[in-house]
Amino acid sequence: MEEMPQHRLSRLPDNSALKQQKLPAHRLHFTTTRVLFVFFTTGIFCLCMGIILMLSARRTQEIEINYTRTCANCAKLRETASNFDKECTCSIPFYLSEKMKGKVYMYYKLHGFHQNLYRYIRSRSNRQLVGKDVKAVENCYPFKTSNNDTPIVPCGAIANSMFNDTIILSYNINSSVQIKVPMLKTGLTWWTDKYIKFQNPSLKNLADEFRGTTKPPNWPNPIYELDKKDPRNNGFLNEDLIVWMRTAAFPTFKKLYGRLNQTHHFIEGLPAGSYSFNITYNFPVTRFQGEKSVVLSTLTWCGGNSLFLGLAYTVTGATALLAAFAMKAIHMMLKNKQMSFFHQ
Amino acid sequence: MTVPKEMPEKWARARPPPSWSRKKPSWGTEEERRARANDREYNEKFQYASNCIKTSKYNILTFLPVNLFEQFQEVANTYFLFLLILQLIPQISSLSWFTTIVPLVLVLTITAVKDATDDYFSSQFRHKSDNQVNNRQSQVLINGILQQEQWMNVCVGDIIKLENNQFVAADLLLLSSSEPHGLCYIETAELDGETNMKVRQAIPVTSELGDISKLAKFDGEVICEPPNNKLDKFSGTLYWKENKFPLSNQNMLLRGCVLRNTEWCFGLVIFAGPDTKLMQNSGRTKFKRTSIDRLMNTLVLWIFGFLVCMGVILAIGNAIWEHEVGTRFQVYLPWDEAVDSAFFSGFLSFWSYIIILNTVVPISLYVSVEVIRLGHSYFINWDKKMFCMKKRTPAEARTTTLNEELGQVEYIFSDKTGTLTQNIMVFNKCSIYGRSYGDVFDVLGHKAELGEKPEPVDFSFNPLADKKFLFWDPSLLEAVKIGDPHTHEFFRLLSLCHTVMSEEKNEGELYYKAQSPDEGALVTAARNFGFVFRSRTPKTITVHEMGTAITYQLLAILDFNNIRKRMSVIVRNPEGKIRLYCKGADTILLDRLHHSTQELLNTTMDHLNEYAGEGLRTLVLAYRDLDEEYYEEWAERRLQASLAQDSREDRLASVYEEVENNMMLLGATAIEDKLQQGVPETIALLTLANIKIWVLTGDKQETAVNIGYSCKMLTDDMTEVFIVTGHTVLEVREELRKAREKMMDSSRSVGNGFTYQETLSSSKLTSVLEAVAGEYALVINGHSLAHALEADMELEFLETACACKAVICCRVTPLQKAQVVELVKKYKKAVTLAIGDGANDVSMIKTAHIGVGISGQEGIQAVLASDYSFSQFKFLQRLLLVHGRWSYLRMCKFLCYFFYKNFAFTMVHFWFGFFCGFSAQTVYDQYFITLYNIVYTSLPVLAMGVFDQDVPEQRSMEYPKLYEPGQLNLLFNKREFFICIAQGIYTSVLMFFIPYGVFAEATRDDGTQLADYQSFAVTVATSLVIVVSVQIGLDTGYWTAINHFFIWGSLAVYFAILFAMHSNGLFDMFPNQFRFVGNAQNTLAQPTVWLTIVLTTVVCIMPVVAFRFLRLNLKPDLSDTVRYTQLVRKKQKAQHRCMRRVGRTGSRRSGYAFSHQEGFGELIMSGKNMRLSSLALSSFTTRSSSSWIESLRRKKSDSASSPSGSADKPLKG
Repeated sequence: MEEMPQHRLSRLPDNSALKQQKLPAHRLHFTTTRVLFVFFTTGIFCLCMGIILMLSARRTQEIEINYTRTCANCAKLRETASNFDKECTCSIPFYLSEKMKGKVYMYYKLHGFHQNLYRYIRSRSNRQLVGKDVKAVENCYPFKTSNNDTPIVPCGAIANSMFNDTIILSYNINSSVQIKVPMLKTGLTWWTDKYIKFQNPSLKNLADEFRGTTKPPNWPNPIYELDKKDPRNNGFLNEDLIVWMRTAAFPTFKKLYGRLNQTHHFIEGLPAGSYSFNITYNFPVTRFQGEKSVVLSTLTWCGGNSLFLGLAYTVTGATALLAAFAMKAIHMMLKNKQMSFFHQ
Repeated sequence: MTVPKEMPEKWARARPPPSWSRKKPSWGTEEERRARANDREYNEKFQYASNCIKTSKYNILTFLPVNLFEQFQEVANTYFLFLLILQLIPQISSLSWFTTIVPLVLVLTITAVKDATDDYFSSQFRHKSDNQVNNRQSQVLINGILQQEQWMNVCVGDIIKLENNQFVAADLLLLSSSEPHGLCYIETAELDGETNMKVRQAIPVTSELGDISKLAKFDGEVICEPPNNKLDKFSGTLYWKENKFPLSNQNMLLRGCVLRNTEWCFGLVIFAGPDTKLMQNSGRTKFKRTSIDRLMNTLVLWIFGFLVCMGVILAIGNAIWEHEVGTRFQVYLPWDEAVDSAFFSGFLSFWSYIIILNTVVPISLYVSVEVIRLGHSYFINWDKKMFCMKKRTPAEARTTTLNEELGQVEYIFSDKTGTLTQNIMVFNKCSIYGRSYGDVFDVLGHKAELGEKPEPVDFSFNPLADKKFLFWDPSLLEAVKIGDPHTHEFFRLLSLCHTVMSEEKNEGELYYKAQSPDEGALVTAARNFGFVFRSRTPKTITVHEMGTAITYQLLAILDFNNIRKRMSVIVRNPEGKIRLYCKGADTILLDRLHHSTQELLNTTMDHLNEYAGEGLRTLVLAYRDLDEEYYEEWAERRLQASLAQDSREDRLASVYEEVENNMMLLGATAIEDKLQQGVPETIALLTLANIKIWVLTGDKQETAVNIGYSCKMLTDDMTEVFIVTGHTVLEVREELRKAREKMMDSSRSVGNGFTYQETLSSSKLTSVLEAVAGEYALVINGHSLAHALEADMELEFLETACACKAVICCRVTPLQKAQVVELVKKYKKAVTLAIGDGANDVSMIKTAHIGVGISGQEGIQAVLASDYSFSQFKFLQRLLLVHGRWSYLRMCKFLCYFFYKNFAFTMVHFWFGFFCGFSAQTVYDQYFITLYNIVYTSLPVLAMGVFDQDVPEQRSMEYPKLYEPGQLNLLFNKREFFICIAQGIYTSVLMFFIPYGVFAEATRDDGTQLADYQSFAVTVATSLVIVVSVQIGLDTGYWTAINHFFIWGSLAVYFAILFAMHSNGLFDMFPNQFRFVGNAQNTLAQPTVWLTIVLTTVVCIMPVVAFRFLRLNLKPDLSDTVRYTQLVRKKQKAQHRCMRRVGRTGSRRSGYAFSHQEGFGELIMSGKNMRLSSLALSSFTTRSSSSWIESLRRKKSDSASSPSGSADKPLKG
């Protein structure tokens, strides 16, 4: 009989803060001072940020030359697939009125090339590219194997469509002497890409490693002949390949092609003067109504010369400040009324 | 609280005829039941259910399949299964299979765990009680020997012996009992909530089977109706010795009843276990859904439509793109083999986009809602302020799916007895010969306030006193002790004029069996003041008057009935003087007093007014001396009247009327029908919260009205209280019309042309209602209600009732209670709540949106049927105003945020579609898609949904108006939904186009490309997680440590998982699965990326902040104001609180507050229930056999259905 009250007593709920919904807590209040303070500080911050970004974006220099139509004959030639083995070069002269200071980067830029299509993005084999199993082509549809079931290396639509123009920048010291601007083909990729994501099966004889495979249909040469001179830039480790394999988010994109090697004439960058691009035109774009250009650009602390971010920050900052003033005004206007409301 | 036994035809029709199942000869349904006594073999053929009951849903083995089956019956889960199957088709799969299966499995698991714990914990009680009940012992007659058996082993056809105070084990046919004539008394509290005793009688042929040997030979066979849930109906036939005997409910003992005042009885088991009427009544049949649930389902359908629209747009886009661009791009990306045209490609892309965009209807929505509700239910269970210390019962949320609807209640339907009142009658005050007793005085002689009561009066002089009786005014006892003749006469009357039966187990231990608690209270009062009713025989009453036993000769009992509203006894005292003692309603009795008492009458009237003002139930007492000749002559006439064949009732009434005249006033009594604690305050508060309270009670009108006044539902300030008591359709219609006209007249002049259109829309209905000014109340009787609830009058009734501030329906049957609730549900589109304690409230509790059971009472039927239970009515205010309000608020905020975050998340894919050739490429990494809803953003919003509070709980009580947004459904409706969606879409636009604008041109700081797909994906995902986290931070009004932990934790987990997924190790193991290697560290190291994220966050959040600020300034709602005042620490007096103190002047409300059943008067006089059946009596009883029960029942139905005319005038005005 004694147990009954004990048992009954145990039904009394605990008096804990959690169970009684009395947890110590901070109540969020949108008080006027706080809101206005947030708005003013945000506005000022954004405005300053915007101005800084715009100023730094203006300091960068960029030159973009669209050569889709400039090399019209080449473009025409490439529209027919059967002409793939016919070489076609063209030269595009241009004049640099101001010298490009510091590091100069050369990009190729494609317009209307969709690297972000669902089936395109998936059409690659990381197992193959990391050198684990060069015959692993399972994800590479529709470029898995050639007609006689030989696995393609590197397989997939991305690799097959790799950009394969060669662009050489020449500097005309005077009307007769033309020297090739030295470009570095290293450091074009992320460290993780070059050293983790892409690996050759072994550093020794690449051709042996890739025996029993075939090149992608669009490629003139097999994978192990991408850079015959530099074994560290050959095979899957070829930086152009790695850059291409990092697919772009939007149909218009530019990819890094080379970095200025700051030696001799070019220690301080590209001096003003006349230059020309000598392009081996291999990559057809007119077939899908695309365009391609070559871009030279310098950088600031925050990367390329995008004005968008600076502008967006400025506009946001200005709007926030305006809103803050407007809100302050509304608050002042309502104050009397509000006071009477709360004090009634 | 009884169910009138007569059923008005109207609602009897609503029930299926008792023979319905016989007319439905489908296989497997029982058509009729045959049970032969003492023949187990014969009965086994029919495979009747055993007496074992099981009320829980699952056991360990059946749990998984049953639960999974149930879960896949949910449309949402099937939908996700369908999506999963879609994803397995390679041509259209745009996401990996795990993006759907992981959440689906998680959701199914959580739901399963919840169901299991639900079933385990909430019915833990059931598991235990099932076991306990199944193992109860009973004595079963097997092979001629009484054996102890567990309840679960009792079979149909067994004969069981029951002893006093035992529970009835199954539905039994009463065979015989220890009492004469096979009578036995039962209490049916657990079955129908009625606490008074009922009489059952065995049919005469079996009532002689008193001993075991006879019973063992009994081989009668019962053929009766199949199991059903009608508590008050039974029809069957007993075949025995080639004779047929009809059986009715009067012969049945139902499971759940308790045997009282009967030493033993034998019964034949007819229905066992699940077939018993108790179990048939307890099944939870209706699955309740909240209005938010229904809205949510509609919205999900809309969203689904929206999803299809987006799919179609993108599919068309895809077809066009493939036609214009894709065909030319085929060198680089040929079409799939299956795809032969742009059109087909578009078709496939439609399905692909359906898969991608399905996250707008997130799979975790339903499970999150369930989890939040579960949390709220636990808060209710844990609430100390809803724990009743006296009964040691906590509040209990028995269903976990209705919580937010508690914040939207507009109508409360309340039972009276046991819910508003404690069903305890207390003799509180009295007025004797012009002097009032019973006021409490403190030491100094001032009237004491409540709570500071002095010592109660000491009754130790009287060894027969009831220890539990308390009285506070010592002057009354002094008056008795000094021998004041009026006081003595007063208590003598109380000790003589009643139909109470006494039982004296040991010397001096008296037990009164009163038919109603009022009578018990009066007799007990007399007992304590020295006039102890000791015992009675059919002809005598023995009273101990101040210690000396005096036996009065009982000449006649002029019993109570509904029309007379009074009862009298005529006794001859030992000196031979004949006196009539009468007690009754003041309105009736005051007209019948001798004119000489005028002066006394005035004082007594004053006292009566005073008592009535305090909400007490008053009775007036009077006596009349009769001389011998007059009595003889009268008795003769009475005998004539009672022997009359026709209109016996009327004749008797007029004979009674004649003698109850020219009486001398003695005084008045005031009985307090003790309200439960805090009832008037609760009702006042709920009324201020704009909740309408209707009282539906089985009690009679006077009692109900009395309680209405004492709990402040009805006040004297009311313009008018309409009383509808019509017996015919026309009368009721007329009364309702008059009431409406009066209400209309007072507000605006309405011509007679006001005719009611049956097709009146609900909007018009409200407009009429709103026009009514002034406070009105409606009291409607059960028989009028039956007409009012007919299809052609229900709208009229509803309109009238809704225009009134208070509605009281009296003498309603359980079915009518449900019908009233159903009516309001049907036309008012309002959330209804029913609260009750007895089995007669079960139908109403089940019908209403929310059913609340008062626990800790004797019966548990109401609690078992209810959704919430607690032990005191006053907890209702906390349940609604605090828990309900918060639940609603939290659920609304949760839903708003949930839809917002999923639209913000999903719509980005839509915008991206325009840039990726509508190829169903997702913006995010598929792992992010998998985890977004279940890991990154689930816990903060859950924490908000569980813990958020807008204002502290005490403010909810202080400002009941805070409850209104819930009733008007302001916090989450279609408009709010569209605002959330708009905000989500706005966010998604910024979330896509700001990074797009930045990425289109920018490069990384090492010159390499920034705008690669993976960096873009990481940037958008990160800014999304940050933006929705900031948003939940703003939405969370109440930041507890848990909220902090979840919000910061979610962000931390996001970055942790991001870096883990992009780590070298995982890539080394699964290069094809984890393609984003190195992405996090490379992308998030870029200042441009962080600048983008910050900008996105600022642009997404600032408008929200500005909008809130402006709303707070321009259009603050009450909760904002309350919060503001809280903030500035203004101690503001609760201005909204205006509890009215009711003045001491009140209309008199006298009620002969007995049960509306006729008393035991005839039973006493016939001597049928007397143990000491003398020879003389026995000859009388054999003659009329069981006719007294018949006549009693006939009388009952007559009195209930005859018009009660003059007594039912409006109480006021």
